[in-house]
Amino acid sequence: MEKSEFVYVTYIRTTPEKLWQALTDVKFMKQYWFGVQCHCDWKAGSSWKLVYDDGRVADIGEVVEVDPPRRLVIKWRNEWKPELKAEGHSRCTFDLEPWTGAVKLTVTHVIDRAQSKFIEAVSGGWPKVLSNLKSLLESGTVALTEMYKSNDARTQGGQAAGS
Amino acid sequence: MTHELREGRPREAEWEETILSKQTNKQKDNIMQKPKLVYSTFIRTTPKKLWDAITEPKFTRQYWGGFANASDWKKGSEWKHLNPDKEVWITGRVLECKAPKRLVLSWADPDKLAEKSRVTFEIEQIEDMTCLTVTHDNLKPGSRMHRGVSWGWPRVISSMKTFLETGKGLNIFAGR
Repeated sequence: MEKSEFVYVTYIRTTPEKLWQALTDVKFMKQYWFGVQCHCDWKAGSSWKLVYDDGRVADIGEVVEVDPPRRLVIKWRNEWKPELKAEGHSRCTFDLEPWTGAVKLTVTHVIDRAQSKFIEAVSGGWPKVLSNLKSLLESGTVALTEMYKSNDARTQGGQAAGS
Repeated sequence: MTHELREGRPREAEWEETILSKQTNKQKDNIMQKPKLVYSTFIRTTPKKLWDAITEPKFTRQYWGGFANASDWKKGSEWKHLNPDKEVWITGRVLECKAPKRLVLSWADPDKLAEKSRVTFEIEQIEDMTCLTVTHDNLKPGSRMHRGVSWGWPRVISSMKTFLETGKGLNIFAGR
């Protein structure tokens, strides 16, 4: 079957337990996920939802697998953009592996269709969210405060002022 | 990462597979000839500090497993990736150098100079932080270099980010 996939590997100086908490504590998530609110009780089969701070629903789905502090799998569909919603459900897996003084986090996001616009979209989002998560766990401060500003800055050449 | 290459124990094939499948979607025609890895990260630093972290051995050694990148960083000059004993692990030429925005290097094992790949570092300032994108292309599919850098870049760049934001890098060869 054809598929599109995005995988991001990052190493974070923390423990698997703290990283697991960071991935499932909805108050903590808000800090590195650009204000997005997650609604979930983290039980297999439970519903899962990401909501923007203005109330719009970004994504919905359900928890497929919960194995703290090792593996979390979410069935995930975009709700915000019709063309992404039309692509249906994707599957997002978080794998946590302890590593000397740190944790290897692998985020694998896959959908059963070729040239997925949804996977293209998350390919831009994950590096930002995971960069923020790493910064927050390691230094107590996020790297980015707004998810979309950086895209705008790039396309408009807005970064030219700095050097 | 070169440490890993020499010892021939590359792992973490998932990253490599990701890139392959991602590329397969985008460039079906040439992916099998020319695999390409792309890794982006956002770092709370300035482009100048990020540039120096890549090009100045006194910084590189602190997050890249004791390795250094040595060159005068002029277009056409040679550059070398040196282990702590100053042995050359990777070598190549500076193909482009626009500090602190863009650095393009050819990249080869000194024992396999004919098998050249290419690494591009792109640095963009976005408000008070910096986006680094590393692209490694022209890799020979399935080669030891391809496997090694697939394993290595996420680790080296994670460590670089930690170093720039907290002053101390990760021990990238720990537990191997």
